[in-house]
Amino acid sequence: MIWLTWRQHRKQAFYTLLALAALAALLVPIGLSMRHTFSDLELGDCARQLADTNVAAATREACDAGYRRFGNQYSSLNLVAVLLITLPVLVGLFWGAPLVAREVEHGTHRFVWTQGVGRTRWALVKFGLVGAAVVVLAAVYGLGMSWWVDPLTQAAYEGRLGMIVFDLQGIAPIGYTLFAVALGVFAGTMWKRMLPAMGITLAGFIGVRAAVEILARPHYQPARTQTFPIEGDGPPEISRGDWILTQGVRNPDGTMIAEDTRIQCPPGGKGPDGRVCGSELGLEPGAYNWQLYQPADRFWLFQGIETAIFVALAVLLLYLAVRRVRRIA
Amino acid sequence: MFGRSPYGDTEGLADIGFVAQDTPLYRDFTASELVVAGGKLNKRWDAALTRTRLAQLGIPPDRPVGKLSGGQRAQVALALALAKQPRLLLLDEPVASLDPLARREFLQSLMGSVAESGTTVLLSSHLLADLERVCDYLIVLNASQVQLTGAVDDLVAEHRQLVGPRHDGGAIGGVAAVVRASHTDRQSTLLVRTDGPVTDPAWTVRDVSLEDVVLAYLADGTTQTSHSEWGVAA
Repeated sequence: MIWLTWRQHRKQAFYTLLALAALAALLVPIGLSMRHTFSDLELGDCARQLADTNVAAATREACDAGYRRFGNQYSSLNLVAVLLITLPVLVGLFWGAPLVAREVEHGTHRFVWTQGVGRTRWALVKFGLVGAAVVVLAAVYGLGMSWWVDPLTQAAYEGRLGMIVFDLQGIAPIGYTLFAVALGVFAGTMWKRMLPAMGITLAGFIGVRAAVEILARPHYQPARTQTFPIEGDGPPEISRGDWILTQGVRNPDGTMIAEDTRIQCPPGGKGPDGRVCGSELGLEPGAYNWQLYQPADRFWLFQGIETAIFVALAVLLLYLAVRRVRRIA
Repeated sequence: MFGRSPYGDTEGLADIGFVAQDTPLYRDFTASELVVAGGKLNKRWDAALTRTRLAQLGIPPDRPVGKLSGGQRAQVALALALAKQPRLLLLDEPVASLDPLARREFLQSLMGSVAESGTTVLLSSHLLADLERVCDYLIVLNASQVQLTGAVDDLVAEHRQLVGPRHDGGAIGGVAAVVRASHTDRQSTLLVRTDGPVTDPAWTVRDVSLEDVVLAYLADGTTQTSHSEWGVAA
């Protein structure tokens, strides 16, 4: 059975590895050049230094300036990162969906399921081997991406918890890829044709991913709130690496005056008409900046929860797929 | 099946060889790889005999079976099914898509190998002449209803065609049942099942082929009409 699985999919495995190698050949030089620039701008220590609240103003300015220069040079790569998060679903489309659907479409299920092994074992071995290969593939991809995207996320304010970078790195891609493959396999057992199975996989994957990302992920842990004064000198105090869910300016009684914004005025600052800074918005004395956020140090906890959700979904789908395989005529 | 339920019984699979319609095989596998695959998938597997058989048939071992002709592919599928040394061999219209020559060769190698092993073969086909040549026992189905069942030799022996004066449905000596009757003004042609010699000199008695018998029974079965689905008058 293992021999058969290898013989059937070796070409596909070869092309997958080729694609991965091509991707690496493209991304590794970019990653190296990013790291080179990063150390040229002396940004290597900035993350640690800025984490200290008593950091010297000069260091902070130097770091921010360096981050800005780095961002100007490389921020277009964030677009590449968006493209890269589609890779798990591609694995699901080309490895998952045809696994059963192709056999049924070509009629070969009638050949292989009437041999001595029986279809349950056929399904378990096949799903198991493809699943294991996919986990290895996704782990390489996830760790490689963590390395690649690290300078970009350090330079960006939102850090690793941000929407797209979070999905790209760490162990979450393992969950996504396994889920995509399992969804493809299951769709193949339900619709039994490759194209419909691939279409359903694509739609289902996007739907579930978006739902988890938007509805579930912000609530994995109770979000924290933080407030900043409106008046202050120097650069605004920011929380680097935290994932800000909502922010705004509130009056002392807690009413939200301006959503999705932050205000900072110099101490005793007056507007051009001589009124107190911010009073044209309706701010009362004692108003403050407010934000709801997930702290940066929850990254691995969130990765773990996200991965667990998708692995659990994948296991469920594979279980249903095995059950379906036993019923296909 | 051999005293066991066939549902969910993986053990039972070892006793069955199955060749599906259009003989599906992995088209990018070579015949020799398929023999190896079969060896990995089955506990009982006679690879040596299968190789010999395929060699005798002139099947190239290192070409993908998708590039073989339909007849050769059917031969490979049959050889793979026989390699399991099954007690029961199920063939679902194995020769339907083959040309007459390939059909004859397929049935010949089927008969040859089955004669050696004593395997039971259950074969479905529309080609009545082939059935007459290879089958011992026949079941005729029409719209999943059994129309006729019996040993082929007996079926041919006990049916006769009678030609004589116009027949009005009365009993004829030696005739058990009239299967099919067609009439002209003065003459009737009957296909009958006999239970003794027909001695009435009014009737000319002719032997029938298996095809005549099967067609008579099939024509006798009611055909389902679909006038309402087509929206036309019956």
